[in-house]
Amino acid sequence: MSAAVEARPTAEPRPQLRGKPTKERHGFRTFEFALMAPALLVLGLLSLIPFVMLIAMSFSKVKTLGGVSLEFAGLDNWTAVLGDGSVWASWGRSLVYFSSIVILEMALGFVFAVILHNLLRGRSVMLSLVLLPMFLAPVMVGLLGRFMLDSTIGLYAQLMQALGLDTDVFAKTSTALPAVIMIDVWEWTPLVALIMLAGLTSVPPATLEAASVDGAGFLRRLFFIAVPQMMPVILVALLVRSMDAIRYYDIITATTNGGPADSTKIIPIRLYEMAFRFNNQIGRAAVVGLTMLVFSIVLANIFVKVFGEKGAAHVTNVAGDKH
Amino acid sequence: MNPLPNAFSRRTLLLGAGSTAALLALPACGGSSTETPTGNLSSGGDPWKQFSGTSINFISENTSPSAAIAANLAPFEKLTGIKVNVQQMDLDKVVEKCKLDFSSGTAQNHVIYADPFQVLAPLSEGLADLTPLIASKDYPPVEKGIEDFIPAQLQSLGRYLDEEKLFALPYDAPTMILHYRKDLFEKYGPKMKSDLGFDPTPGENTTWEQYFQMAEWFNQNAKSDVKYGIGCQAKQHDSLQCDFSNLLWAYGGDYFEKGQELGRLSSEDPGKVTVNSEAGVAAATFYKKLVKVAHPSSTTWDWTGLADAFVAGELAMCVNWHEFAAGEEKAFPGKIGYSVLPKGPVRRAHNFGGTGIGINANAKDKELGAAWLFVNWATSPETQLMSLGSKVGGGTPTRTSVYELPEVKAEVTKSPSKYPNIRTAPAVLEAWKEENIGLRPKVPQWVELDTIIFTELSKMLTQDGDPAATMAAMQDQMTKAMG
Repeated sequence: MSAAVEARPTAEPRPQLRGKPTKERHGFRTFEFALMAPALLVLGLLSLIPFVMLIAMSFSKVKTLGGVSLEFAGLDNWTAVLGDGSVWASWGRSLVYFSSIVILEMALGFVFAVILHNLLRGRSVMLSLVLLPMFLAPVMVGLLGRFMLDSTIGLYAQLMQALGLDTDVFAKTSTALPAVIMIDVWEWTPLVALIMLAGLTSVPPATLEAASVDGAGFLRRLFFIAVPQMMPVILVALLVRSMDAIRYYDIITATTNGGPADSTKIIPIRLYEMAFRFNNQIGRAAVVGLTMLVFSIVLANIFVKVFGEKGAAHVTNVAGDKH
Repeated sequence: MNPLPNAFSRRTLLLGAGSTAALLALPACGGSSTETPTGNLSSGGDPWKQFSGTSINFISENTSPSAAIAANLAPFEKLTGIKVNVQQMDLDKVVEKCKLDFSSGTAQNHVIYADPFQVLAPLSEGLADLTPLIASKDYPPVEKGIEDFIPAQLQSLGRYLDEEKLFALPYDAPTMILHYRKDLFEKYGPKMKSDLGFDPTPGENTTWEQYFQMAEWFNQNAKSDVKYGIGCQAKQHDSLQCDFSNLLWAYGGDYFEKGQELGRLSSEDPGKVTVNSEAGVAAATFYKKLVKVAHPSSTTWDWTGLADAFVAGELAMCVNWHEFAAGEEKAFPGKIGYSVLPKGPVRRAHNFGGTGIGINANAKDKELGAAWLFVNWATSPETQLMSLGSKVGGGTPTRTSVYELPEVKAEVTKSPSKYPNIRTAPAVLEAWKEENIGLRPKVPQWVELDTIIFTELSKMLTQDGDPAATMAAMQDQMTKAMG
């Protein structure tokens, strides 16, 4: 009785979203658009103009001294960036970095969320402790990682030495990238855990109880009842961390500065170098920025398509079953 | 309902954004010769007080002299009534903020820490020419004249391409010298001498090959007192280029055809990139050999990391900036020796890392005047003496007259010294001689070249790269970067 009643509120909004768009939703000649116009204007000022500037810069030789001036350079910046092997190498490292942190943070965040969700005592205290790292500024986390792993003064380095691992993790190309990945995972897994915990908490207990009565074990309830209902929340966590991972900068700058041997020089570090360190390379930096933007949009669309549709399909199925 | 009958279309919106963007991209006005604004000079008032009540910002790398000045601004504020906000940060951030400041056409920061390679050469158009300010009768004169600045430093740090213009006054003068534990050399010296067959005490006759042999000897024979003989600042960072450059020059190589001339006034045509010379490859080969016997964490250390390890007692010797002496004296009072760098096959070369302070060309009126008074005061002999003895680190004088003060001379051999950095004076004064100084090229593309140099070296050191291939790759990329 109650399952059908509970399923209805979550199932009903979908047909509205997936229904045929009405005419009023398109175009700018609407009352709704008039209401949104001031906000859109601010948004335009903050994002559209810089975006247009970015495109213009990518086709120009940009001089900044004495005021910004653009001199048309055709496809020079694009051919220079797209023909630069070191930029592609940075993209390769970015993909390794990106996949590693997203997979690790999603998996660990989920595990922590499940543990916290099932804690009967001290949940608030544990939650507070788990969340602590994400309240630190990333650059502070980077410095903390650098000091903890410093072979002269670092606590972790000394522990590793005591265990016979006499190595400086930032000194070797094989260990530097995993080290910065772990530092990021340490900082941001709590955020994923928090989002996942919210998702787990929102799963109706009655559904889980019903599954339990039907004989479903813990893992079955978790993966076949809870996880499918958490898809929209997982999508949020995935998008938040993915977008962050693409523009990751602080921790690497504070620890390895892109080294050794470029082994941690991911694409945002290249972008920073071109835009702020090198002379007159803002046009090339704009190209890198645009490629990062395209990558982000494509990725976000894939995630929305995969996870959004899975979540919607599950909700629809559940709703159908209940009816 | 249609409340917006003539609402703009999507195309209009994008067009509008594009037009606004284009408007923002219009070039700003060009610069002209520096003004010499005057403040309240009526009735023959004190010229130091004419801009009283003005506030200015000084942006600097987090170096010893700036720490000393930031900790002791009261005399300047009392003298002038001007308030100075000192912002200290890593050099990368200083450069980034200066670029943004110069580009915006504003003067968020009025006094600029003008690193000769990263600010002066690429951004000289953003700095005011100080010559009219120095010559103006409306301001207090530069005490003892600009002739009092060490001439080589004045040219290297203050001038760029044009002999008639002066963009900065020498403010600090960190120079790479050899730091070594005297106590260890006293303890192990005789044994080392008999084992190695030469007097190991670092000095004028020490060669880079001997330095390498001493490093190996410490590694094998003094583990109870020190972990490693030497450390290097071989992180993928500017420090790696600085460390390597000493060897490149000592082996007779240089980055460009015009060599050391580019570190002085510089030239619009630096000539061909020459890093892949026979001398360059020999220097890279030796540097790789040196890092192999250095502390294994060397490839993660910049100059600060190296100094920390030295102060922690992990190293018997290291090549580092002389301004770390104050901290070393605190950790090992009287036990640290300072020497010129070892000789190479061609000469000895000490990387000079001095910096001047200049004024943002966008600064106007009383802020420009106040900024000049601050630059004048901050580089004066009295302020340099104060900075030398500061409890927060201590800078290095760039004025000849300060080194000649009897009270300063008396401190050179004392330990503990009232002016700990001055204990390095014999070594740095020797290092600054024409034949011993090592100057990087002042070319606008230097930051990019620097990145190419330290990245290729980092690959060679951590991936067991071939020195010849490394220098060839460096040459190729540097040539491309120079266009």
